[in-house]
Amino acid sequence: MILEIKNLKKVYGDKTVVNIEYLQIAEGETVGLVGNNGAGKTTFFRMLLDLIRPSEGSVLSKGENVMQTDAWKDYTASFLDEGFLIDYLTPEEYFIFIGSLHNLSQADVSAYLSRYTEFFNGEIINSGKYIRDFSKGNQNKVGIAAALMQNPEFLVLDEPFANLDPTTQIRLKTILRSLKSERRLTTFISSHDLNHVTDVCDRIILLEKGLVIKDFMKDENSLKELEEYFSE
Amino acid sequence: MLSTFLSHQRKSFWRSRNKGGSIATQIVMGFFILYFVAIALIVGFGMPYLLPKVFKGQDPLKMFDGIILYYFAFDFLLRLQLQELPTLSIIPYLHLKIPKQKIISFINVKALFSAFNLLPLFIFLPFCIIRIAEAYGVFAMLMYIISILSIMVFNNYTVLYIKRKSITNILYTVIGLAVIAGFAALEYYKVISIMTGSHFVFSAVAAHPYYGLFFTLVAGLMFWINSEYLRKNLYVEELSTKQEKKASTDYAFLNQFGRVGELAALELKLILRHKRSRYSITMSFFFLIYGLIFYKEKIIAADEFGKMMFAAIFMTGISIIMYGQFMFAWQSAHFDGLLSNKINFKDFIKAKFLLFTIAATIITLLASFYGFLSPKLLLLHLAAYLYNIGFGTVTVLYLATMNYKRLDMTKSASFNFQGTGATQWLLMLPYVLVPFLVYLPFGMLDKPYLGLVVLSAFGMIMLLMRGFWVDFITKKFEQQRYKIAEGFRE
Repeated sequence: MILEIKNLKKVYGDKTVVNIEYLQIAEGETVGLVGNNGAGKTTFFRMLLDLIRPSEGSVLSKGENVMQTDAWKDYTASFLDEGFLIDYLTPEEYFIFIGSLHNLSQADVSAYLSRYTEFFNGEIINSGKYIRDFSKGNQNKVGIAAALMQNPEFLVLDEPFANLDPTTQIRLKTILRSLKSERRLTTFISSHDLNHVTDVCDRIILLEKGLVIKDFMKDENSLKELEEYFSE
Repeated sequence: MLSTFLSHQRKSFWRSRNKGGSIATQIVMGFFILYFVAIALIVGFGMPYLLPKVFKGQDPLKMFDGIILYYFAFDFLLRLQLQELPTLSIIPYLHLKIPKQKIISFINVKALFSAFNLLPLFIFLPFCIIRIAEAYGVFAMLMYIISILSIMVFNNYTVLYIKRKSITNILYTVIGLAVIAGFAALEYYKVISIMTGSHFVFSAVAAHPYYGLFFTLVAGLMFWINSEYLRKNLYVEELSTKQEKKASTDYAFLNQFGRVGELAALELKLILRHKRSRYSITMSFFFLIYGLIFYKEKIIAADEFGKMMFAAIFMTGISIIMYGQFMFAWQSAHFDGLLSNKINFKDFIKAKFLLFTIAATIITLLASFYGFLSPKLLLLHLAAYLYNIGFGTVTVLYLATMNYKRLDMTKSASFNFQGTGATQWLLMLPYVLVPFLVYLPFGMLDKPYLGLVVLSAFGMIMLLMRGFWVDFITKKFEQQRYKIAEGFRE
């Protein structure tokens, strides 16, 4: 079991933003987190990554509390928003920096990047721009690619499909699927787009006002079910 | 239309998200401006009395002519550094049914609201009214005033034009300063004289007042060139600074420090690639002249290091103080990324120490030219340097763990107080007081050199304890990281 959530709560003032009693994610699962704005998805993800101190409860990654050790950083890669990018670097510099944290040499990094030329669509590498000068979609690509480069066992992405063009959306889905079958990658993604989520995930968690409303394995009726839920 | 624009501007100020901050900034700015205006007024009204005193035995009228061009040359360089381009606020109007000309006039009018366009009025006008009118007649006085205002307007729009074409560079300013200093030196040794040149120009205005209109003509021309440029380039993309090709860089020198060096290199790029941090660093170099103010011959001869301590600490530690006061907030935009990545917090803190040490070493080496004044000063600097890297760094980093204010790196640099909190101002106190207090008893007992030795020893001991301090700050940082991250997200 790669992730275990126990009685996780985050309270701001008198408002409980996240309140998850128990949740676990097994290795190799691709889990989608859906919910409207304000459902607490990002706050939840931030707690997973030890960026926000939970008011109560704990997040266990491979049985270890993320607040207490750094070991989870070895196998967890994430991209939530542009705040994860060091925007005054060129993409190459950023990839090399992230790579160096995982003991990848420059050659390793360029070898990796060459596999993703299609994904980058010729706009990222050797563009002569800092990350801050890219469009949001391309920044997203840099963040996602940097996360994938870390060879993670556990991947956390917040709204990865937002701002991406249709071609890239499809490519990203292909990449996620193939990584899952190749390496048993565990993925936890959030999205507003029910189509994408049902397409790529095999388990779906529905969050509303911080509570887990539904948690089910995907089948052919899932999309309909979700659409019905959200149109109410 | 112009008034609508102005009212929008006003609203954008009063409704801005960090209103408190910007009001505070404006108030501080207001005080700065008042201060400068007061000085300008004193200089302006005192000019008739000051000129004969400064330039003994010379004709004050001639000297007045002489300083005008000097003033504006200096004004030009200052503007190049400090004056802001009034452009970005127009973006929401570009696609609306508003004639381009209106937008351009708005930008042009707005550009006149600058303190730089206020000071010359106070500095030069009183003298014109008091003395020029008396000497050359009212009409000549009017033309003097018109000439001076024209040069001011010329400077205003030339600087904006240069900035729009983004051919400005800190290097040019430094070169410009050097050129002015060169002319001043030549003036002093009576080789060539700008003052005579300036006088020549203005005596022509005095003799044939109509000549003054020439300045107006040139200013008008510059205004026109500027407006034309704006008209042709009124695109958001082109109004913001031009993009040059960005290249990846590698600081081989830092690689020898391993992971810590990598983090330091990262931060070095941060400093060099943002206006605001670059500005802080440039200011550090300007502060090197502090010694000229504080290091007086008498004080040096009497070994009164206590009186010079402040300047020494400040000069050798300026980079630590300037950069350290906003520590961690420099990285507020990607702080989440730093936390969630596989970065050891200890390395993170060590990288800061490394960077501070390098910066302080460089600036201390530069400051050693004061050794020409007296070799004693080198000892003083050494003590101050050891204190700075030994204990100053610790103070700054400890206080940094209590700074939760986001810093917007994209905002301009000069007179930007965003991200400044009480901590920043309080920082200065212990930083400057500690070395002074360490030295004080020895100074009082008339053992100045022993005082320096003790201060150096204090710095040395702290430096040797660096491992301990790194752990100490790392621990504090670990405790505070959620709070810091939360503050930086806002």
